[in-house]
Amino acid sequence: MSRDNGRRDGHSKFDQARRNILRAIGLGAAAAVAQPAWGGQTLQDAFASFFQKDYRRMSAEEIEAALERIERNAAARYGVEIDCQNTPPQPGVVFGYAINISRCRGYRDCVYACVQENNLGRDSQVQYIRVLQLEQGDFNLEHSDHYYDPETVPVEGKHYLPVQCMQCDDPPCVKACPVEATWMEPDGIVVVDYDWCIGCRYCMAACPYWARHFNWTVPEIPAEEINTNTHYLGNRPRPRGVVEKCHFCVQRTRKGRQPACMEACPTGARIFGNLLDPNSEIRYVLENKQVFRLKEDLGTEPKFWYYSD
Amino acid sequence: MAVIRFIFDGVREMFRGSREYWMWLAALSVVIIYGAWRYSGQITEGLVVTGMSDQVSWGFYISNFAFLVGIAAAAVLLVIPAYIFDRKDIKDVVLVGEGMAVAAVTMAILFVIADLGRPDRLWHLMPVIGRFHWPVSLLAWDVLVLSVYLLLNLAIPFYVLFMHYRGREPNIRLYFPFVVVAMFWAISIHTVTAFLFSANPARPFWHTSLLGPRFIASAFASGPALIIITLQTVRNVTSYHVSQTVIDTLALIMTTALQISLFFVGAELFTDFYNEGSHAASIHYLFFGLSGFASLRMWIWVALVLNVIAVVILMIHPLRQKTLLLNIACVLAFVGIWIEKGMGLVIPGFIPTPLGEIFEYAPTGTELSVAAGIWAFGILVFTLLAKAVIAIKLGKISYTLKLSYSY
Amino acid sequence: MTSRILLSMVCTACLISVPAGAQETEAPDQQPTLRFEGYPGARDFEVVPRKDKLFFYPCTQCHRFLEPNPEVRELAAPHDIKLEHGRGRIWCLSCHSLENRDNLRTLLDEPVDFDDAYLVCGGCHANRQQDWYFGVHGKRLANWQGERKLYNCTECHDAHSPAIKPRNPKPPPPVRAGLERVPGAEYEQHPVWETLEEQEDQ
Repeated sequence: MSRDNGRRDGHSKFDQARRNILRAIGLGAAAAVAQPAWGGQTLQDAFASFFQKDYRRMSAEEIEAALERIERNAAARYGVEIDCQNTPPQPGVVFGYAINISRCRGYRDCVYACVQENNLGRDSQVQYIRVLQLEQGDFNLEHSDHYYDPETVPVEGKHYLPVQCMQCDDPPCVKACPVEATWMEPDGIVVVDYDWCIGCRYCMAACPYWARHFNWTVPEIPAEEINTNTHYLGNRPRPRGVVEKCHFCVQRTRKGRQPACMEACPTGARIFGNLLDPNSEIRYVLENKQVFRLKEDLGTEPKFWYYSD
Repeated sequence: MAVIRFIFDGVREMFRGSREYWMWLAALSVVIIYGAWRYSGQITEGLVVTGMSDQVSWGFYISNFAFLVGIAAAAVLLVIPAYIFDRKDIKDVVLVGEGMAVAAVTMAILFVIADLGRPDRLWHLMPVIGRFHWPVSLLAWDVLVLSVYLLLNLAIPFYVLFMHYRGREPNIRLYFPFVVVAMFWAISIHTVTAFLFSANPARPFWHTSLLGPRFIASAFASGPALIIITLQTVRNVTSYHVSQTVIDTLALIMTTALQISLFFVGAELFTDFYNEGSHAASIHYLFFGLSGFASLRMWIWVALVLNVIAVVILMIHPLRQKTLLLNIACVLAFVGIWIEKGMGLVIPGFIPTPLGEIFEYAPTGTELSVAAGIWAFGILVFTLLAKAVIAIKLGKISYTLKLSYSY
Repeated sequence: MTSRILLSMVCTACLISVPAGAQETEAPDQQPTLRFEGYPGARDFEVVPRKDKLFFYPCTQCHRFLEPNPEVRELAAPHDIKLEHGRGRIWCLSCHSLENRDNLRTLLDEPVDFDDAYLVCGGCHANRQQDWYFGVHGKRLANWQGERKLYNCTECHDAHSPAIKPRNPKPPPPVRAGLERVPGAEYEQHPVWETLEEQEDQ
């Protein structure tokens, strides 16, 4: 830009100044859009995630874009490269779970394996699994101890009952949700779209198993402990103000791996598999063992059984 | 256009008044601004600033919401005598009652929004662009009925007042159908809110068919209490005439409703305690404490005592006729039902949790401040609406008045 | 020959077929060990190997120099193990093969490889073994679908002291950030008979 009296090709000094200002605004706007400034997101991302549709109505491209936004957010928030996928359910598969309560010793290995696998906030202190300690001969949950902390387990005269989302076939939480942010997938898992939930917590009131938990604050996870293998409906990093719950480790189970709780249990008390496969372990349990479900009389049809042998 | 002038004159009337009026608005504004400031803190930090937890996931906000929907529904107790029984004296004040309904519904909606984890996602509730889970979700029902009720209680008075402002008779044949709809709708908003709670077998404390009737009965006891106090205030601070027969009728309705409400409480207590099973754990916690936890016990017994004193005053005819005693009874009943239907309903539903854990709840400063701010906002809304309504009804502002800013 | 018929009769219920030549006495290294032939209904599986985790294996590195001694006695180091299994009804050579220390043995003295230790355990614990075959006891490695790899009994149960010992639990659940848990009165369970006994005493 020549500086001969501020004139260039006959344009006035005023025009030049105006052009400079417009250029600066343009650059500034481009910078604002591209820089992560909106809660750690770029303006483009913030807009796109605000207007993001619910999972079941997004096209394949929109879901891809959402997955990439989640990965970018995780990089901005935790400084970690995660892989967020959208593995679809396998056809002909409906998951079922059983726990052998005569094998459970109350170690809580399952609880902490789940916390690690599913990127549960250490600060928001959500745990999907809760192990109850009950008196021998007593099955009244009001007499249970959730906070047992003895030197060794099992304690003499007590037995243990792990409880987590029962993935009901007639889920009261799905009925309760005013925005349909939670629903049952074809493989039987009741999932939550964390980007659609408005945080009204009606589903938490409706759940008879205390299986749904809320992010009262932003989930804090140490960067080195983040599980980078995530699923949109599962263990991807969640925002504050939404409900979450056990999803049978959808990022693992849809690929044929065991859920983290089952893999962690040292006693092999946990059985998991495809209810529609007559040769599966879970079918053998249901057909050969004395199984029961919690709060059967409520008619929720849980896909989570207990048995002892 | 006349409508524009009507709105303009009405709004201008809202912000015109004596020194006391402005001090009242200022006092309310201070509380509102403080509540808004605390709410912004909640937006920044998240709901962790409240006392709610996974165990008790609804608290003070929803307690107030449930109570206020009842107050909103109670406006119907003026609408029915005014339009169905053609009580002229009540017809004169029915718009004030509808103004109260507007304020109460507004407060109820604000309490729900304050309770949301993601209020920025409110648009997800809209049909077509969002997902509105109607008719399956009771919360979707509640959003629908409250919105329509708000519209009805804005539209009908708007029309009637506009006609009055124009110096014309409102066409009864035009708005009467809407009035009938509004009457049934008032019952429906509170029944839907009751169903919101009673639909959950996961919470035995709420899962009773008596909850709907209890809600209506307590609404019809606490609503008139507020209306009686408010109408007397209107009579004292403005030149608007409120006939004593209105107060008498409302007091009579309130007496019956409070008696029925207390009967329902007695029925619950008997049913749960005669053969006490685990179904009664929550009510045992509420009235007697459980395993050493009893933070609501004193509150519920105080509420019960207040209600009993109120109903005794109301039932005794000569006592009910005395203004001072009537007002005391109104305040006692209002506070008693606020406790019983607010915290005394919502919190014990979560204690013990479905897994038998007892974890108590106490509202934090943020919750109390935001709640106070919302209440102040509702009172402000009512004040402004009443100011305009009364001015129009008294003819202080009208379309034909050349000098709109007289006096 | 008679032993084979006996074996077949005994094993009909378990439907384990006996491989030919299992009873011939051959040189220890060449004798084929017992293999699992499958329950009807139990799917194919593999067992996670144990031999690489055994400290002394292969045992013949010492035992080919030692005289086999079938006398029931207490052993000296390095095998001075206190056997907490069977309450005195079994001893070392009930499960370990006398002729070939690199093998285990069944009740009918068939050789069993250390990686197939479950065949030995199932000799007495048949119901538990059936549960294990069908996947309702024990642990499966990694997958619920596809390749089925099961852990051996001895992966979790020390064969010489199989009862699982108590161990310390992981920490109790926290409460929401910003709130504190107030421990309530602990529930004390009184069995019905205690209350009745109290009433009797009065």
